[in-house]
Amino acid sequence: MFDKFKEWYDNRHDYAQAWKKRTGGKVLGYFCTYVPEELLIAADILPVRILGSHEAQDVTEPHIFGMFCPFCRDCLAQGLKGRYDYLNGIMIAQSCLHIRQTYSSWVKHIPQEFSYYLYMPHGVQTPHAYPYLRGELAVFKEALEKWMGRPISNKNIDRGIEVVNKNRQLMKKVYEFRKQENPPLTGLEAMYMVVSSQMVNKEEHNRALEEVLKELPNRKLNRNTGTRLMILGSEDDDTEFVEMLESLDSTLVVDDHCTGTRYFWNEVEPQEDRLAAIAARYIDRPPCPSKDWPERKRFPHILQLVKDYNVQGALVIQQKFCDPHELDMPALRKMLEENGIPTYFLEFDVTVPIGQFKTRVEAFLETFALPDLF
Amino acid sequence: MAKKEFWRWPEYRHTVEGIDPQNGKVISGGVDIGSVSSKTVIMVDGEVFAQSVMRTGSSSPDSAERTMNWALEDTGVTLKDIHYVVGTGYGRVNIPFAQKAITEIACHGRGASFMWGPSVRTVLDMGGQDCKAIRVDERGKVQNFLMNDKCAAGTGRGMEVFADLLSVPIQEVGDRSFAVKEEPQAVSSTCVVFAKSEAVGLLRSGWSKDEVLAAYCQAMAHRVVDLLNRVGVEKEFVITGGIAKNIGIVKRVEKELGIQALKPDQWRDDPRFDPMLAGAVGAALFAKVLYERSQG
Repeated sequence: MFDKFKEWYDNRHDYAQAWKKRTGGKVLGYFCTYVPEELLIAADILPVRILGSHEAQDVTEPHIFGMFCPFCRDCLAQGLKGRYDYLNGIMIAQSCLHIRQTYSSWVKHIPQEFSYYLYMPHGVQTPHAYPYLRGELAVFKEALEKWMGRPISNKNIDRGIEVVNKNRQLMKKVYEFRKQENPPLTGLEAMYMVVSSQMVNKEEHNRALEEVLKELPNRKLNRNTGTRLMILGSEDDDTEFVEMLESLDSTLVVDDHCTGTRYFWNEVEPQEDRLAAIAARYIDRPPCPSKDWPERKRFPHILQLVKDYNVQGALVIQQKFCDPHELDMPALRKMLEENGIPTYFLEFDVTVPIGQFKTRVEAFLETFALPDLF
Repeated sequence: MAKKEFWRWPEYRHTVEGIDPQNGKVISGGVDIGSVSSKTVIMVDGEVFAQSVMRTGSSSPDSAERTMNWALEDTGVTLKDIHYVVGTGYGRVNIPFAQKAITEIACHGRGASFMWGPSVRTVLDMGGQDCKAIRVDERGKVQNFLMNDKCAAGTGRGMEVFADLLSVPIQEVGDRSFAVKEEPQAVSSTCVVFAKSEAVGLLRSGWSKDEVLAAYCQAMAHRVVDLLNRVGVEKEFVITGGIAKNIGIVKRVEKELGIQALKPDQWRDDPRFDPMLAGAVGAALFAKVLYERSQG
């Protein structure tokens, strides 16, 4: 029943091109989940998140500093190799320096009819962030109207908010099932579900989610749940790693990733000023560590997830050279361990050494599973 | 003329005298297929009875069969007599006759605790292609561990390359690394390939082989001490894996840490304490418990 999501994930480019052909609409590639998809959908644009392909490549070296993260290079490689040639435009919401470099390089080397840098504030903890982002969203809306050649009405925005909120609600409902003692879905399936939501038409995705929710209550997986793990850290859509992990008597029951909960956890709370409502949602969402200062607001949220999902251990993963997460991790691991959650750290690259990682993860899991052999 | 293989370390088998497997209740086996060496330990009621250590070939199942058969040679015990076998090491999932696979990290922790006693808290496993710093409790249960996560620098394979490069038999490397008037600076890279070019440069500029060995041993020691410090070192401290037999590394690690390793020379008098065997010993101990559990 999760096959559809995997199919979308595996064939993301075919999907977007078919959508474009079918609807005659425009497709916009975006970096970072701070991009307000509500406004893009209000303008009848298909937003697709640009992600890497987890293949070794040799095209980005002249464009990105070697000590920038592998994810930002992998994304740019997709553009330079022409895999996103069907895009009509690209945009970024200001986040970390590394992915901003990908955006700048993309704009410079790959011609687009539209490109946009949204000044998403870093200082989300100041009350000034709300009016600031609201103002930037107004400028962004105007830019979209100019590009599309038509105004975006309140009704359009309401539709955008509604469809994205519904997507968030449905995915959260699916996540509820992961709290069960024997979750009827794997972490891999959940990952396909969330990441595919970043690639396809939300209405279609919602329909698929509704189908899944009908069947999930009666679904039983023919596998042991094993150790209940949380995975958290940098961008992560490494399905090969997750598949290996869940072959080792463990189940990922929840995450804190921008390819998981951070993407969809909170909703737009309706208010008359639609742009203010959208701005508030992105200011208040579970933050990326690039914005989570001076107070680390993400930590109590993570701890709550640990409790709600009955997490036994946490895998803390970092894209190599991902500074925002790197800075957070010592404090994060300390916080988890003080709360009785053992952690294990892994550094991810474009591809991961699956054999060595298997030994390391398996040894971590054995610390939960082997006690009765002593 | 065939080239002399300076890297070649001795393969051997051994039977412990005074143990009669016929009178034992549980015969258990631990097979550790590492990236460089394959080891088997046969235990009778939780005591080491027979062991073999040999080079790993290109096929894990073949290596497992060869090391097992060699360990059993002339013991009167056959594979059929062994109640339970646990596999460990890189090839752990490809051992046809093993009933269960357990990681070398858990097995080295358990094995080291058995071999050197329950006071062991930190195990440094320096293997053929990776090294691990493992913290264990009084039962040898892993509490925390770190594994080198980039390359094979600072491991057995690197030492083999150096032995060959300098035409020094690998067993002499440790002693010769101390035959220097003054400890030279460490080579700046532990990457085997870079360190090799650096060594060639040093030899050209007049360094003796012993000095180059000292510089390389020191670089390896730095690297593992860094790993150990990240996981935190608590006494008692032991070193397992093939590199534990290289005194040039052991002494330098001890000096940098300011902590003595527990009985690093015991293996010279008693083969049961061969540090290369710790993983297989741990596996055999787990095998014994698993068998007993299966019998209710």
